[in-house]
Amino acid sequence: MVNFTVDEIRAMMDKKRNIRNMSVIAHVDHGKSTLTDSLVSKAGIIAGAKAGETRFTDTRKDEQERCITIKSTAISMFFELDDKDLLFITSPDQREKEVKGFLINLIDSPGHVDFSSEVTAALRVTDGALVVVDCVSGVCVQTETVLRQAIAERIKPILFMNKMDRALLELQLEAEELYQTFQRIVENVNVIIATYNDDGGPMGEVRVDPSKGSVGFGSGLHGWAFTLKQFSEMYADKFKIDVSKLMNRLWGENFFNTKTKKWSKQKDADNKRSFCMYILDPIYKIFDAIMNYKKEEYEALLPKLGITLKHEDKDKDGKQLLKVVMRTWLPAGEALLQMIAIHLPSPVTAQKYRMEMLYEGPHDDEAALGIKNCDPNGPLMMYVSKMVPTSDKGRFYAFGRVFSGKVATGMKARIMGPNYVPGKKEDLYEKAIQRTILMMGRYVEAIEDVPSGNICGLVGVDQFLVKTGTITTFKDAHNLKVMKFSVSPVVRVAVEPKNPADLPKLVEGLKRLAKSDPMVQCIIEESGEHIIAGAGELHLEICLKDLEDDHACIPIKKSDPVVSYRETVSEESDQMCLSKSPNKHNRLFMKAQPMPDGLAEDIDDGKVNPRDEFKARARYLGEKYDYDVTEARKIWCFGPDGTGPNILVDCTKGVQYLNEIKDSVVAGFQWATKEGVLSEENLRGVRFNIYDVTLHADAIHRGGGQIIPTTRRCLYACLLTAAPRLMEPVYQCEIQCPEVAVGGIYGVLNRRRGHVFEEMQVAGTPMFVVKAYLPVNESFGFTADLRSNTGGQAFPQCVFDHWQILPGDPLESGTRPFGVVQDTRKRKGLKEGLPDLSQYLDKL
Amino acid sequence: MFYIVGLGLGDCKDITVKGLEAVKKCERVYLEAYTSILTCGKEALEKFYGRELIVADRDLVEQDADEILRDANKTDVALLVVGDPFGATTHTDLVLRAEEKEIPVQVIHNTSILNAVGCCGLQLYSFGETVSIPYWTENWQPDSFYDKIEKNFLNNWHTLCLLDIKVKEPTLESLTKKKKEYMQPRFMSVSEASQQLLDIIKKRQEGHKNTNITDSSLGVGLARIGSENQKIIVCSLKDISNFDLGGPLHSLIIPAPVLHPLEEEFLKKFKI
Repeated sequence: MVNFTVDEIRAMMDKKRNIRNMSVIAHVDHGKSTLTDSLVSKAGIIAGAKAGETRFTDTRKDEQERCITIKSTAISMFFELDDKDLLFITSPDQREKEVKGFLINLIDSPGHVDFSSEVTAALRVTDGALVVVDCVSGVCVQTETVLRQAIAERIKPILFMNKMDRALLELQLEAEELYQTFQRIVENVNVIIATYNDDGGPMGEVRVDPSKGSVGFGSGLHGWAFTLKQFSEMYADKFKIDVSKLMNRLWGENFFNTKTKKWSKQKDADNKRSFCMYILDPIYKIFDAIMNYKKEEYEALLPKLGITLKHEDKDKDGKQLLKVVMRTWLPAGEALLQMIAIHLPSPVTAQKYRMEMLYEGPHDDEAALGIKNCDPNGPLMMYVSKMVPTSDKGRFYAFGRVFSGKVATGMKARIMGPNYVPGKKEDLYEKAIQRTILMMGRYVEAIEDVPSGNICGLVGVDQFLVKTGTITTFKDAHNLKVMKFSVSPVVRVAVEPKNPADLPKLVEGLKRLAKSDPMVQCIIEESGEHIIAGAGELHLEICLKDLEDDHACIPIKKSDPVVSYRETVSEESDQMCLSKSPNKHNRLFMKAQPMPDGLAEDIDDGKVNPRDEFKARARYLGEKYDYDVTEARKIWCFGPDGTGPNILVDCTKGVQYLNEIKDSVVAGFQWATKEGVLSEENLRGVRFNIYDVTLHADAIHRGGGQIIPTTRRCLYACLLTAAPRLMEPVYQCEIQCPEVAVGGIYGVLNRRRGHVFEEMQVAGTPMFVVKAYLPVNESFGFTADLRSNTGGQAFPQCVFDHWQILPGDPLESGTRPFGVVQDTRKRKGLKEGLPDLSQYLDKL
Repeated sequence: MFYIVGLGLGDCKDITVKGLEAVKKCERVYLEAYTSILTCGKEALEKFYGRELIVADRDLVEQDADEILRDANKTDVALLVVGDPFGATTHTDLVLRAEEKEIPVQVIHNTSILNAVGCCGLQLYSFGETVSIPYWTENWQPDSFYDKIEKNFLNNWHTLCLLDIKVKEPTLESLTKKKKEYMQPRFMSVSEASQQLLDIIKKRQEGHKNTNITDSSLGVGLARIGSENQKIIVCSLKDISNFDLGGPLHSLIIPAPVLHPLEEEFLKKFKI
């Protein structure tokens, strides 16, 4: 039975200090959804016996079939904490007085890298993250990626070591070995945290620490878990020592000598590590007794641990019995609940330091203060982070977080898309919210209104937003920042309906697909081709399946996947490039040059961005990249899309009326950086300098119509004279396999232009991890190829890592880049052959 | 021979005799139709000249000049330009190109708005630098021309403001696409132009910048000069911004602050 009602949840929503918004994040297959079941079952939504098998939050049929999470799923749950546990919550912002209940809004996210945009969307609306690590495989590539993202969004992590059952049953690790494994994982996680978080920053110290109780151990599959707090409580009376003091003793270099009854900081001949003695030993004993069918032994043991078996469980033995025993002794839901309630921040705590990361407007306006104070009476500020399909085909719930104010059924609000600029009308709608709803995994519940600090869904907003947006009642509100994804849509396929008459259905289906996924891009090329771009093969496969089955509902033909390339330059332009405007009265003089290594990445990461204060940015560029500071102060813009990794620098001296053509030059620059000269792919890592400009005396003769096309022609000439190159996307691949299969991996990688840069054994296991760079273009069918060459023992995780120059001159026929350029031009319906410099370069 | 023939301002009959002779003997005759327009249409011209005309839009003149000049060294080609060939328009580039190809060029002059404005009574000698007032867009609102008007005003010169016309201009959105879409033809009216001036004045006053021209300064609105129904009005900039002068083309003059008594007397005729 569900142990709470919607009304109870609604009442809890007002107790903002007792709310925890959290996501569950991890590497693929480390057991997030399985672990989540423990909480869901504690809330009574699924039966306890089914927990660990149901994967309640995997709502889609294909998720259940493939045993992989594809979409993140939210669920709201209500729990009560015991009085003794409430004492552990000390901060006044973390608990309302006299309230025992907690509202936990949990989002289970996918672990496969191809779906990490779902993780980004989940992190945005939550304040804390439960990081799940499989203690057998340890910290993996995706663990690091999601953890890094969480820290960047100022999400506080807690750690859970999952799959202890495997460590005990399959690997048969000794207690001390297991402790070392745990210790190593905690260290690895803390290293990552330390790399990306500043302890002196507003979030303070976020490292995880078993002795504080922010690290859990257990098995999601078997439904048991504990933190040091549980064991401390068991022993506290015996030792006559305070629970939290004992927790410190139970982890780290603390050894106990049973004969002398003395604690020591060093290992001696007759003392033993406290963690092994007091925590692992009892667990090992139970495992040993039950799995080896020593009935007498365990029947004596159980009462000691305070476990009484239910009548129907008495006949079980082996693994079945083990599950029941462990689950009764150390219920996972309880341990998790305590970790979440005690260690994760409430919205009141979190929004204080998250506001400045979230809000684009001034940090002291009404909206900013509303967010900072998590004020339900402030103006409404809600961020919609993703769209969730409804049972009604083609419609979506807009899913997001209320940061300030209250969103209510029927209220009128401003719906602002990502392109909204305060004061303008673009991407802005003023509409009524049809309905507010509560997301409950596979179900939704209608709810009257939702106050700040909560997560909810909205009906009727989907038609005004493409993917994400800000909803507010404050007229002068700026947008909440758009999310930055850790993956890019570098793999694309062209689709067309099998029956040409179905084209309108396809177009409609593509629109829905674009909505339903935070990252997928659906593009119509000017040639009329419909392109779907995604993060990887699996992502595209799921998108295409959804398109065919759910969104368009028609049979579809698809092309082979192709990757997107970038155009760049490798030298400075060998001449000053001049282009004249069509009326010949305006002349632009420019040059292109490659950016120094690392600058394009700095722009990608937002370390250098168009919103920076220009003097500080110039200083940074001067110090790090040796740019002339005076010039660096005059960066006109970034592009494409105003933010991309190319810049336009004004190096002119005393040109009159230059500011009147600036907008037109910028528009031409955006155009040229979006569609490069070689094959109309985006540019990357190019700096353009304007050295001189001659203008007509009269404003009318230097308008956009004259300047925009001229700028583009001039930029194209700059590119062609600066030794243009193509760049291809490269994956970082992490492959886990047993030692025998390593050889097979090398073979497959070699054939696919990949190269290994790290190979190591996972400490304490026979598994090897091979890390390699692999061009995305070579990755199609890589997983299958790898499996067949390693007898199915190697499993790769590929995540986009960087762009790399494709060796060779694209202007010289016969080279590889030349072939790529020609193929791309053909696909895009451009004139075959090479772009002609004389078309772009004018003579004086 | 390549002829560039001025057509004058009014209707088809304003062409000079010399110009008409040239038109009649040419193999191809282009009508430049983007820097200005005649009040009568292309059909009336064709009827009057008794021959076919090829309309040359901006793309053809600016980007495909070779096509216009094709074979002009062997046969005769003419380009008809409203007003004077070198008046307010920009055909110098075409002459340079023709000479580059060793094509002989003959220019047949005609009247231009630059001299026809004399009809309002202001002395041509006292005009300062001519400016154009472009249509503003949401993001592009240049006001450098205003500095020139101010400068003229301080020097006690009149300023002739030519007003933007968009006969066949691509939209800004389509400029960066392969398929061009064109804006509706638009001709700036005197009231629109004076409104933009008032906006600039207001902006400068709010920014506490010095302006000598105010909304009560005098303005002269001219419409359809050279045609039979030409119209001239004289009143304050504020009033002029609410006045409808009828169909295109319009021009605006900001007279000097101190006028010659004769100028003043003449302007009185048009006061409203």
